[in-house]
Amino acid sequence: MPWRIEARATGMELIVNGKRREVTEGATLTVLLNELNINPLRVAVQLNLEIVKRERYENTVLKAGDSLEIITFMAGGAE
Amino acid sequence: MLREGNAMEKSDVLTFAGRRFRSRLIVGTGKYPDYLSMQRAHDASGAEIVTVAVRRVNLDRTQESLLDYIDTKRYTLLPNTAGCYTAEEAIKTAILAREVGLSDLVKLEVIGDQRTLFPDNEELLNATRVLVKEGFVVLPYTNDDPVMAKKLEDAGAAAVMPLGAPIGSGLGIRNPYNIKIILETARVPVIVDAGVGTASDAAIAMELGCDGVLMNTGIAGAKDPVAMAEAMRHAVLAGRLAYLAGRIPKKLYASASSPLEGMIE
Repeated sequence: MPWRIEARATGMELIVNGKRREVTEGATLTVLLNELNINPLRVAVQLNLEIVKRERYENTVLKAGDSLEIITFMAGGAE
Repeated sequence: MLREGNAMEKSDVLTFAGRRFRSRLIVGTGKYPDYLSMQRAHDASGAEIVTVAVRRVNLDRTQESLLDYIDTKRYTLLPNTAGCYTAEEAIKTAILAREVGLSDLVKLEVIGDQRTLFPDNEELLNATRVLVKEGFVVLPYTNDDPVMAKKLEDAGAAAVMPLGAPIGSGLGIRNPYNIKIILETARVPVIVDAGVGTASDAAIAMELGCDGVLMNTGIAGAKDPVAMAEAMRHAVLAGRLAYLAGRIPKKLYASASSPLEGMIE
């Protein structure tokens, strides 16, 4: 039986916080946050305008063209 | 006297929406020279509530995270909707903030004018109604307008936060009489938000009977933010004590404090 050559995982393009970004195809939200070095406990994520609950990050598989907003707390305000 | 003061500090608490805070000073996180001085200033202020903005994560990772410098076991985070100009934006921001912090507290700001940063009260009221219905504890930043304060309270705001003067202006409490009227009618805590420039401004707000003071620039923009934070802690305590103590009435003429009987003739 001939060896099957594993196709190298191809990338897919997402829009993250308004900028194009390449990630591994079929990556979950957990994988993306990990690649971006983001602590999931400190952010909120909107996927195509829908909020994804933290407990669903692991099961949320991203698709090419998905648009994500990753939100956190920052210094500031207007006091 | 000092002991009684300490007793007051323990028993006299700021309460809203079932939460209790010993400190009546709420501080911000913006405009500090660096996170370390912010952290020290927070510590010196004695505050238990810290406001934070809600923004996109910086994906370049060149900046440190604010949250590395705020111990969330010690401080309650109060996300704000700073920078929002419509009810829709503010509501969206509040909902995202709840997902980040898993808390329903929100300092609601809906700005109506870029130059003065005065609130858009119409949008503010709409946003308050929606967010209260969504289960948020809404703390709206508003004008020093007693009618508006009442409307916000009726809409379910957990406190009202009238400005003392424009945000970052340091002009102090420009209209103490309006604040007094708000205090007379409000059944929720009244927290002066914005305008405090120095310790006496904070003391005046508290002497009027306000339940708390929220400030950022007054501390963060001072030459020595840590020292100013400590000054503000004392000012809020002193103002609160003076309010509880009950000041003497103002009179035009002198009233002697020594008896007139027994004078040497």
